[in-house]
Amino acid sequence: MKMQFRFMIIVLMLSLVISACTTTAPTNPATTEGTIVIRAGTGDGGDGLTPHQQIIMNFEDLNPNVIVQLEPVSGRDYYARLLTQLAAKAAPDIIQIGDDAVPSFVTKNAFVPLDTYLKDSNFDTSIYLPGLLDPGRIDGKQYLLPKDYSPLAVYYNKKLFDAASVPYPVDGWTWEDLLATAQKLTLKDASGNVTQWGIQLPAAWTTGFEYWVAAAGGSLISEDGKSFVGAMDSADVVRAVQFYADLYNKYQVAPQPADMNAFGGGNSEFANGKAAMMLFGRWPQGGFKTNPNISLGVVAPPMDKVRANILFWGGFGIAATSKEPDTAFKYLSYVSGEPGAQVWKDWALPAVRSVAESSGLSNDPIEGVWIGELNHLVPRAYTFTPYWNETADPALRKVLESVILDPNADVKGLLTQAAKDAQAALDKLGK
Amino acid sequence: MKSLHRKEALSFYIAISPWLVGFLLFTAGPMVISLLTSFTDWDLLTDPLWVGLDNYRNLATDPLFIQSIKVTLAYTAAYVPLDLAGGLLLALLVRPQFRGIGVFRTIFYLPTVFSGVAFVVVWLWMLNPNGGLINLALGWFGIEGPRWLLDPKYSLWALVMMSFWGWGRSMALYLGGMQSIPGELYEAAAMDGAGSVRQFFAVTLPLLSPTIFFNLVLSVIATFQSFTSAFVATNGGPLDSTLFLVLYIYRQAFEFFHMGYAAALAWVLFAIVLVLTLLLLRSQKFWVFYLGERSK
Repeated sequence: MKMQFRFMIIVLMLSLVISACTTTAPTNPATTEGTIVIRAGTGDGGDGLTPHQQIIMNFEDLNPNVIVQLEPVSGRDYYARLLTQLAAKAAPDIIQIGDDAVPSFVTKNAFVPLDTYLKDSNFDTSIYLPGLLDPGRIDGKQYLLPKDYSPLAVYYNKKLFDAASVPYPVDGWTWEDLLATAQKLTLKDASGNVTQWGIQLPAAWTTGFEYWVAAAGGSLISEDGKSFVGAMDSADVVRAVQFYADLYNKYQVAPQPADMNAFGGGNSEFANGKAAMMLFGRWPQGGFKTNPNISLGVVAPPMDKVRANILFWGGFGIAATSKEPDTAFKYLSYVSGEPGAQVWKDWALPAVRSVAESSGLSNDPIEGVWIGELNHLVPRAYTFTPYWNETADPALRKVLESVILDPNADVKGLLTQAAKDAQAALDKLGK
Repeated sequence: MKSLHRKEALSFYIAISPWLVGFLLFTAGPMVISLLTSFTDWDLLTDPLWVGLDNYRNLATDPLFIQSIKVTLAYTAAYVPLDLAGGLLLALLVRPQFRGIGVFRTIFYLPTVFSGVAFVVVWLWMLNPNGGLINLALGWFGIEGPRWLLDPKYSLWALVMMSFWGWGRSMALYLGGMQSIPGELYEAAAMDGAGSVRQFFAVTLPLLSPTIFFNLVLSVIATFQSFTSAFVATNGGPLDSTLFLVLYIYRQAFEFFHMGYAAALAWVLFAIVLVLTLLLLRSQKFWVFYLGERSK
């Protein structure tokens, strides 16, 4: 009997442990009296965590009564995890998210509006470079402050241009210039195999494609955010998709994607010195600068009817569930303000104008191009509807995959169908 | 006497309680919640909204749901027979007892112990159209390999090919089944003049049918739940050609945060698997032979 009793106790304890595991939120470590702990969530990982840690160290030196815990979650599950944490009221106090997640998080009341905090602390929001507050603002209220960002640009390898005696592209160049340049730089061997490509393109990257649409003077969605039919299937969009597809299949100046599922198509031709140009964001630039195959130049994307560019952006906000919003704002204004930008500038483009100027980045022949592109931004499609990612994005992706894979694809027909599909999905959700 | 009964009952409940607690917390509880969720519109953060059968009604007009059912059925139809035959073939190859056979059994079984993600990444490298091992090997014979995961005509077949990696699991089950076949049946067959081919069809195959049946049921259930290879290698593309039903459930739940719709999809998946499994169980009496059972 005694044995059984003991056994029962053990089983009971075990079940308690199991149920405890499922309900407890992450707890803060033991703190001394008066110390405030805030948690900062980020989707960055690996080397990308170093600037976060650096900024936190600087901040803690200035604020000895505050401990900032960095909570990195990298990978595709980041948002799912954040939402479950928010639902369980166990989310980090500071949350970092990307541009197109902002509307859906804000409409779910995940963030605290910052306007009162900004006013009370006299935070000067004019310190930022143009366009960098917009992605964090919904219906006139500011919810997030910028972390880092990138527009698009065209990288070019001066070595390959020099070898072919082709002049470097210059700001204000057009789609026709792009095609002519790419054709001159596409080289074949005696048996007709391509040995060097004109330009590496980012495959079926839908958000990146918005640049082509904007440059052609088109739009993927109506101004009121309610219609894809009449926008996505318009003549300007058809022109943009046709030109993009022709670079791959008609003129064959761009290598086929290596991995349709990888971000940007998974190609390595530009890095290997086998492609003369590449259209992309600033993210791989660090590697290109030290790559012995490349002598790097960067130029604005070419214009068609419009000189356009689009912005990719990450920012920080304060979780609506935070129990220490005041301290969280103190850290937020530090990490997104001038002191944070002083650290970010060595890792990404700094958001704060004074930092960009004093570090010489604004006038740098390469970095200055990226920063200058902020003057040509058009709003991204997701800002017109909270349902973009689940309606038009998959439809557009299908069109791009089709025209890249199939040289005989009917662009107009595909876009008409895509607009209809996206519209049906939107009508179902928006009803 | 009564107290002995009670004591026995008490020990039973104590002994079963870890399983019971686990079952209630991690299986039965979530199932009930998932069923309730499937009748709601819920984005995780705002309160769930009761929508009755709307989620189930919307399925009928959702082209991606229909596509994901097609993909899953095609994959199951291709994978299950290949898995059954491939595992059996491997088992026959490593069945003979001689020195060192254990090494081969281990080698064939080994891939199944790798994590799903790791082996998909290896396959990604092998299937790369430019310089991947498979197209390189095809090139030696003058064949220009397809673009595999990049081509909607080949992508699903590439995933089927990837899954050959798992034949070792069914091989192990077949081997176990073969070892339980009494040796005297083979002796009797040999005395009746049956050669090895005849022995296989007259003795091995019928007596192995319970194992084949078991493998069949497991395979069907497992393929309907396929997720990892598409999630890691293709994300359902190109052109939704590898959009498995479970991948679509994941997308609705954790990318679009339509928990209600995702739960409804999951229950449809459950219903399909349940019906198929019941049909298979019914089919037993036509082709599965249990030793010691009276012949009808």
